Amino acid sequence: MAKTPDDHRLELLQGTLDMLILRTLQWGPQHGHGIGQAIRSQSDDLLKVETGSLYPALHRLVKRGWLNWEWDLSEANQRAKYYQLTAAGKAQLLREQDRWSQLVHAIGRIMNPASANEE
Amino acid sequence: MRPHQDDLDAEIRGHLAISIKERIERGEDPASARLAALKEFGNVTLTRDSMRSVWRHRWFEAADALVRDIRFALRALTRAKGLAATVIVTLALGIGANAAIFSVVRGVLLRPLVNRDEDRLIYIRQGDQGVVDATNMTFSVPEVNDLKSRVTTVSAFGDFSTVDFAMIGLGGEPRMVKAGVVGGSFFEVMGLRPVLGRLLNAQDDGPNAPGAAVLTYRFWTTSLNSDPTVIGKTIRLGPRTATVVGVLEPSVPYPADTEIMANVVTSPHHLGATMVANRTHRMTELFGRLAPGASLETARAELTAVHAAIVREHPEAYSAKANVQLKVARLRDQIAAPARTILLVLLAAAAVVFVIACSNVANLILARSVRREGELAVRAALGAGSGALRRTLLAESLVLCGGGAALGLVLARPLVAIVSRYAARFSVRALEVTIDSSVLWVGAGLAMAAAVLLAYVPRLPSPHAPAGLGLATGGVRITPGTNRRLRIFATTQIAFSFVLLAGAGMLLATLVVLQTANTGYNMRQVLAFDIPTSATGAGLGEAKLLNFYQEATRRLGQLPGVEGVAIASNVPWRDAGIFGPGIHFSVDGYKPADGEENPRARFRTAGPRFFAVVGVPLLAGRDFTDEDRAGSERVAIVSQSVAQRLFPNGEAVNRHMWWIDPYFGKPAPRRIVGVVADVDDESIVRGPAMTIYQPVGQIGMGGRLFVRTSADPYALVPAVTRVVREISADQPVERAATLEDVRAEVVSPERLNAFVFSGFAGIALLIAVVGVAGVLAFSVSARTREFGIRLAVGSAPRHLLVRVLSEGVVIAAIGIAAGAAGGYALARVAARFFATVQMPGAVTVIGAAAVLIGAAIAASLMPAARASRVDVLQALRSE
Repeated sequence: MAKTPDDHRLELLQGTLDMLILRTLQWGPQHGHGIGQAIRSQSDDLLKVETGSLYPALHRLVKRGWLNWEWDLSEANQRAKYYQLTAAGKAQLLREQDRWSQLVHAIGRIMNPASANEE
Repeated sequence: MRPHQDDLDAEIRGHLAISIKERIERGEDPASARLAALKEFGNVTLTRDSMRSVWRHRWFEAADALVRDIRFALRALTRAKGLAATVIVTLALGIGANAAIFSVVRGVLLRPLVNRDEDRLIYIRQGDQGVVDATNMTFSVPEVNDLKSRVTTVSAFGDFSTVDFAMIGLGGEPRMVKAGVVGGSFFEVMGLRPVLGRLLNAQDDGPNAPGAAVLTYRFWTTSLNSDPTVIGKTIRLGPRTATVVGVLEPSVPYPADTEIMANVVTSPHHLGATMVANRTHRMTELFGRLAPGASLETARAELTAVHAAIVREHPEAYSAKANVQLKVARLRDQIAAPARTILLVLLAAAAVVFVIACSNVANLILARSVRREGELAVRAALGAGSGALRRTLLAESLVLCGGGAALGLVLARPLVAIVSRYAARFSVRALEVTIDSSVLWVGAGLAMAAAVLLAYVPRLPSPHAPAGLGLATGGVRITPGTNRRLRIFATTQIAFSFVLLAGAGMLLATLVVLQTANTGYNMRQVLAFDIPTSATGAGLGEAKLLNFYQEATRRLGQLPGVEGVAIASNVPWRDAGIFGPGIHFSVDGYKPADGEENPRARFRTAGPRFFAVVGVPLLAGRDFTDEDRAGSERVAIVSQSVAQRLFPNGEAVNRHMWWIDPYFGKPAPRRIVGVVADVDDESIVRGPAMTIYQPVGQIGMGGRLFVRTSADPYALVPAVTRVVREISADQPVERAATLEDVRAEVVSPERLNAFVFSGFAGIALLIAVVGVAGVLAFSVSARTREFGIRLAVGSAPRHLLVRVLSEGVVIAAIGIAAGAAGGYALARVAARFFATVQMPGAVTVIGAAAVLIGAAIAASLMPAARASRVDVLQALRSE
């Protein structure tokens, strides 16, 4: 396959997709395509979620009770499945955010000991 | 929340539509927007599948794969029908036999009784375990009363004694019924309910209660067609009457399979002083219900202690030599006990058959997998993991074993019928055994076990080893390892078959000895009848009874075809043990040496001409006559062994003997008037039985009628019955059988033993023959090239034939040696647990070995013939 301009994109870290989906849905219900677009635009095009990963992840989150879905018409007047956070999903988002900032902090201390010592 | 298939599609369509619309709005033309959206989306089918699989269980995936493998296996097996059929039939035999035996074992040994709280129900007996005839002495009423008043761990006792009544009523002819005479607490203790009417209770106890009887369920359904109007009917039981008050629910009849159970008042004997007060008059069976909080162990400890105290207080009631002890068992275990050994032996035999079947199937599968090595190697080379390959093999063996199990369950049904009829000889519970779902589970379990085992038999091709040669030629290459495994399996089959064959041979040899033994009786021409006399109301010894006997003998003697008629007390074998073990006696001039017991002899009565009628020769002196009656000189006839032991000089006639048992009161000498040949009317294996006969006319006890005829004996039965009824209308005339048939009936457990075991051995032999033939056929077909070369360089076909045959014989010989060694060791181990383990005789062992060698030769013949007919050119070109 020929190289595309997207080559500077980052690979998603293992396990972060679920968190990103939950975070995106914090602003209200959205359909699959919209979620993909939101992640992409909010990361300044650095992150692109493959539909082959996105949809199974959405269904996995529904199965675990963190998301609900309902059918609705999109702004483009197209029938689409809208996902939204459940209460359990909101709690999970908080947990993941917490875990994530701890992870970032820990990795940051290792990668950048000087700045860590300043704290 | 689980999405539907269409739901997933709609979601994907929606995604694409939105994506296309956005692109068009950005200015792309519709066609390229659509293409770009699809390209961006990627593989639609894959995404949909992975969405769906989110909702599936992990097991579902595995099962899905297995279903695919099973479909594949079915297709593969239709190309190997012969193999599939052999495997399925072999497994069916193994699984069917095991399922059948197991359902009988479960029904007899494991299933709870219907009685309420049956695990608190106990059976109590006393006996001397060291004495053959005294292991279960039962109890006397004073003993029962002592136990009742002293024991606290048993909340209630139920008593039961077996009595034969001549019953009139409930339609049909007067006949003898086996009845239980029970106390009022019996049914409450046993925890049984009526299906109709009521059972007996405390109000039915005592001498003043009206006679009442309960019918057993089996009697009510089989003899009375479940007639509900039977309640309230009156029946005559001997001299008394009783009203039918109820029908008992279906339950295990124990200790005796009776037709009715009646209260104490119906049996005059039970109200008499002997029964009530005599401490040694033992005929009561005792049941108990554990008191709340008491365990079997505490009850056993207390009962044993109380019993020991009773024995100490009444030393006169127990034989000084006997070591009488109390035994307490759960009723369920007590009922199952006699069948336990035989059923466990059968279970072992069935397990052996299963092992043989499995090793045979393993053989076939191994041979098949060698042929498939090429295919497996290709799959391994294409990246199939060893898990996937095992799953393929597992699927195939699941199909085979499932087929085997299905067929086995079909076979199990008739097998259960045979085995339960057989086991009914040892435990009444076997009668209720039916094939149930447990068989299904056992069958399925065995099949699964076999399937998993078989899947691991073949070696997998290693993905690392170069399999190029096998791949390229597609020919069968037999490695030394495979060959050794095949032979080990075949040898195993022979070894196990040998053990079964030797066992079956032993039983058959015993049976042949039993059936062909000379009994000393005229077996075919003599008809024996029971003519129990309590129905006529005549007590023992009354003139009326003796007149009846004389008249019956005289009139029956006039019937055409009758050669002789006589009365006696015992039908050989059938009446074994009715007078208990031998009774002590003494004779003129005999003094036992110090510490020696007085001799014992069997007590019998015989009427005139009895010995002539049954064909026992009179060796000295005279027979009894009609003149030997009450009031005339007391006389006796002794058997040869009595004469030889006590009168070694041969002068037995005209000497005197007398019984020295308290039962006979003051010793009354009898003059010995004759000596007859020894016969053994108790044991099937004839031994020298010391027997002393008294005239029926002097003892006043007979009850058995013997008629000798020159014609067909059974054709005479109606005439005999008619003549007897002419004399005494209410007289039962029962159980007509020739002595030959009486003996056959007694021998039948042995016959069934031999039959069932021979069945197992036959199945084993069949499977072993298939196994040996299969191994050799495979080995021959894999060595076509070798045989071709041998023929090409000048071997005679005859040599190849002998070579293959001898391979079969070697397998058989090694198997027999292993089987003999293993069987010997097994018998040694078994002897530690079972008292009656016998070693088969040399003839049997050699016979079994010869059968197996013969079978091995027969099995090798076809492959051997094929080897000797190998086409040289074809063989050399084949690789």
